[in-house]
Amino acid sequence: MIENAWLIPVLPAVAFVVIVFLIRQFKMLSALTAIAAMAVSFIISVGIVWEIIQGGATMKKPVEYFVNWLDLPGLNIQAGILIDPLAAAMLFVVTFVALLVMIYSVGYMHGDPGFSVFFSYLSLFSASMLGLVVANNYFQMFFFWELVGLCSYLLIGYYFHKPSAVQANKKAFITNRWGDFGFMLGIFFLFLVFGTFNFGELAKAIPKYDNVAFLTLAGILVFIGPIAKSAQFPLHVWLPDAMEGPTPVSALIHAATMVAAGVYLVARGFVLFHSVETVALVVAWVGGLSALIAATIALVQDDCKRIMAFSTMSQLGYMLMALGVGSLTAGMFHLTTHAFFKALMFLAAGSVIHATHKQNIFEMGGLRKSMPITTWTTVIGALALAGIFPLAGFWSKDEILVAAYTEGAYALFGLASLVAFMTAFYMFRMVFVVFWGDEPEGQHAHESPLTMTIPLIILAFFSIFSGFIGSPLVETGFFSYVYYKYPHPPEPNYMIMISSTVLALAGIGLAWLIYGKKSISAEALKQRFQPIHTLLYNKFYIDELYLWLFDKVMLNISTAFNWNDRHIVDGIFDGIGDLTRAAGARLRFIHTGSLQNYALVIFAAVVIIMLWMAVPALGGI
Amino acid sequence: MITLEHYLILAAVLFCIGLWGALAKRSAIMVLMSIELMLNAVNINLVAFSRFLTPDALVGQVFAIFVIVVAAAEVAVGLAIVINIYRERQTSFVDEFDWLKW
Amino acid sequence: MNQLQMDFNLLTVEILMATLGLVVLVLGLLIPKNQSRGIAYFTTIGLVAILLYSVTMQWTKAEFLNGMYLIDPFSTLFKQIFLLTAILVSVGSYQFMEKYGHNQAEYYSLMVFATLGMMVMASAGDLITLYIGLELMTISLCVLTCFRLRDAKSSEAGIKYIILGAMSSAIMLYGLSLVYGMTRTTVIAEIAAAIALDGVSPLLLLGLVFLVAGFAFKISAVPFHIWAPDIYEGAPTPVTAFLAVASKAAGFAAMMRVLLIALPDLFVHWNVMIVGLTVLTVVLANLVAIPQTNIKRLLAFSGVGQAGYLLLGIVAFTQLGVGAVLFHTLFYVFANVAAFMVVIAFYNETGSDEIRDYTGLAVRSPLLAAVLLFSMLSMAGIPPLAGFVSKFYLFTAVIDQGYVWLALISVLMSMVSVYYYLIVAKVMYIGKPADDAKPIKVSSGLQIALILCLVMIFAFGIYPAPFTDLAMNVANTFFTP
Repeated sequence: MIENAWLIPVLPAVAFVVIVFLIRQFKMLSALTAIAAMAVSFIISVGIVWEIIQGGATMKKPVEYFVNWLDLPGLNIQAGILIDPLAAAMLFVVTFVALLVMIYSVGYMHGDPGFSVFFSYLSLFSASMLGLVVANNYFQMFFFWELVGLCSYLLIGYYFHKPSAVQANKKAFITNRWGDFGFMLGIFFLFLVFGTFNFGELAKAIPKYDNVAFLTLAGILVFIGPIAKSAQFPLHVWLPDAMEGPTPVSALIHAATMVAAGVYLVARGFVLFHSVETVALVVAWVGGLSALIAATIALVQDDCKRIMAFSTMSQLGYMLMALGVGSLTAGMFHLTTHAFFKALMFLAAGSVIHATHKQNIFEMGGLRKSMPITTWTTVIGALALAGIFPLAGFWSKDEILVAAYTEGAYALFGLASLVAFMTAFYMFRMVFVVFWGDEPEGQHAHESPLTMTIPLIILAFFSIFSGFIGSPLVETGFFSYVYYKYPHPPEPNYMIMISSTVLALAGIGLAWLIYGKKSISAEALKQRFQPIHTLLYNKFYIDELYLWLFDKVMLNISTAFNWNDRHIVDGIFDGIGDLTRAAGARLRFIHTGSLQNYALVIFAAVVIIMLWMAVPALGGI
Repeated sequence: MITLEHYLILAAVLFCIGLWGALAKRSAIMVLMSIELMLNAVNINLVAFSRFLTPDALVGQVFAIFVIVVAAAEVAVGLAIVINIYRERQTSFVDEFDWLKW
Repeated sequence: MNQLQMDFNLLTVEILMATLGLVVLVLGLLIPKNQSRGIAYFTTIGLVAILLYSVTMQWTKAEFLNGMYLIDPFSTLFKQIFLLTAILVSVGSYQFMEKYGHNQAEYYSLMVFATLGMMVMASAGDLITLYIGLELMTISLCVLTCFRLRDAKSSEAGIKYIILGAMSSAIMLYGLSLVYGMTRTTVIAEIAAAIALDGVSPLLLLGLVFLVAGFAFKISAVPFHIWAPDIYEGAPTPVTAFLAVASKAAGFAAMMRVLLIALPDLFVHWNVMIVGLTVLTVVLANLVAIPQTNIKRLLAFSGVGQAGYLLLGIVAFTQLGVGAVLFHTLFYVFANVAAFMVVIAFYNETGSDEIRDYTGLAVRSPLLAAVLLFSMLSMAGIPPLAGFVSKFYLFTAVIDQGYVWLALISVLMSMVSVYYYLIVAKVMYIGKPADDAKPIKVSSGLQIALILCLVMIFAFGIYPAPFTDLAMNVANTFFTP
């Protein structure tokens, strides 16, 4: 199966082409084509996972095959496939979530005028992400990285008639540009020094290289890419706004494709990020801080999709923190389990939005009765996200905490524990408000169609059980395949298990008291902590800060540059342009149209060359 | 004694005369004839080289015969075009063919 | 003297071509005039068959008649390039010739013979053979150029081409005669040996100057390009496409053979000339293209500019350089013929070649506009299209030899070229079509050819490795005897 891995990204790409150029008019056929392509990709991914469990490829002995895409003296760029357990896990997650999201979208996007186009975008989006996952070198990864960015731009701005959607996709695109720029510069530097983009060759070369300053620079530059793509502080501002896209897209972006790309890049380039202590610290702390910032902001948001957006940011922070402290296994394991329950949460939110046409959680309530499947799957997702035993989130989050603790990063450990508490609180705040609470007037919600609920149930199943594959309960699990250098079977640390569970339960309990039972007045709390609430509600004013930076500082600087551009640079270039045009306009008159003038020109040229050749200094005799 | 140099100089002179004709004559027929002169200069060169430098192998002579044949074909096509263009424009003066320019 | 090497199997491609040309000519006499479309199809099919056959000889390396005629991967690849061009041009000619031509059999037969001449040039291992091939090509093309008897522009282009062409061959022949005189042989391999033995003499250098001038005329390098725009404009458009692509490629094939194989010892001397020609060509062609208002003239100048880029490969005088020339020529077939086919299709409907009439072409025919746009962007060297890769190779080839300044000038002028290409793009995409403008119909054969070209332009750009590998391997065999 591994040798067929190239088909995985190719099939959805083909589906994209077929839909766009051939069958756009037939809506159902388009959707089925996209789903069929993804299903085959999924089956191949499962096959690959199976072969890897049989020992078909390990982290130390990946299967790699490639062709030379560009082969020049001094510049060799490959196009290839690299399959190791890391890639296989990612392939499984991406194809699985993408497949479910597509099935779900059949119901969710029903009746949308751009139905086929939507599916073609989804296909291209998944294809780009899958291409990124199987890439065997940074250059190819960057190419697909850009494609992922482009697709997210298209999908976030899918409702392009809505000004807010247009704003959001611009914001996502521009913010990601910063990251792409850093990434590009970073791999360019790496190429200059090591002369290759290939992951394997770099992994061999980097440890032997001892210029710490350079490695720090390159590592941090490359890391700017994941900061933007995985929405980490300080480039996280695009993620909440990206909620303007259709909800299935949000699910795809948050669970499997776009934001996971950043984490995957860090995992793929693990050698680079751990070649220098500083870079690893930066990765860990960016992750940790983002986790905290996002969790605090999520405490007070009232748009259900935004709550989830910040929760994603916070969970991605967890993953990067794990990678930063040196546990590839924990980071990737959390990425996997998170994909399941986050996709579940988003699709459930989509189901709710589909039913109520509202996104503000305080305008909903009591949906428990009308939407039982959505309710219970959401509760499972929330429990998993909060990290309650024995759901998936518990095992993966626990591993991160253990990793931070055993590596001696106690500050990060404390921070992560705090975030665990907050996560449980804000998730259940949402659950209690939306599904319990009082039904507002005029709410006629009903359960969503089967194409939407079945993916929910499947994801709920995985949210419950996927944690076991990496838990200390099993002999060989996730950790036996995906690791850095050598496998680290998790050691059950009961102290951490109990403390994190207690914290999570405390969070849920507090949420129940405030929003379920209402024995503590939310309003009173809000009044009491008004400044903090305002600060959090406005997301630490980071958007405003950027706005101010752009409006005032950048604008003034750019005005200055603009003047310079208009008067000096433009002057020069206009001058060159005019000169070029004028030169062209004059020179054309050497073509007089007269045959004998032409003959004369040719003959004169011969004479001039002869004279020239007669001068010894110019190579004559 | 006539040496190789004499032939080469004759050829060069003939080539220049032909070139002058090609550049200066107005009539297309004259221009074509001047080009024939240039080609004949080449033929003299070839035959002279062959005679003086490689008397055993007849490469130069063979080359000259090829040139003569090709030149005939060239002139045939040239004259046909001149006739055609004369029908169109009632002139065969090359300096009047300047519709295509710039 | 050794036994003459005369294995006629080696000449199969050439013999088939000659047969095809004659059969087409005879068919023209037998078939009634109103059914001549069949002749056109027959020619195309015949050319495709010969192209397919030539693949079987891809890596054959042999001599015919003691080195007078060389069958090697280099010449075979060039033959395939000519055949490809001929095939595409023949497809592009169907409608055009029915509308504006008179005797189709003669037209297609001449095209086949011109291609045969090019093949002989590419395979020539002897100066006489080279000359015969050159003249077969030139004379056939002359007749094709003035094929529209009732069109004064066509006739004028014909007379200009035959006179200037004959003059340039006379100059080149003079050079050949001097080279023959100084080396006592006309066989290319022996010339190199003779020069290595006897050293350089002034007369040999004089011959070299004449020789380079003659080749420069054929490949239309500035200032020897002076004929090209007029003749490109006047000739029937399919012929222009053929001239611009195949005849130029043939010139390059012969030029590389003579300069790189026969005269490598004169490298320092011809290199100066070629560098000078390159600079002039790249700069002047791209400048003069800007004010053009006729699309064929614009493409003519752009083609002259492309010849300048190709010269870079000769300047480099390395395997990489030759490979880059081969790759660029191969891509250039698709890009340039595609552009000319759009011009043909447009002319068939509107009878105009003026750029201003292309206003709103994107609305009138999205396919034509897209093909023209992408072929032009490709020629300008915009990634990820083919032109970017080939220019990258060419520039790398000269930079490797230390000509950074030359590469810089070329890159700069490439940017200038974007300007005039974009003028056309702007007219096509931003301009609103006139109210009475009708959609432009493109026949299905032409559509297939256009789409093929478009696919190839992208394929060469996105996944160039197989093509570059082919070019580099061929270049490798070119230098090994």
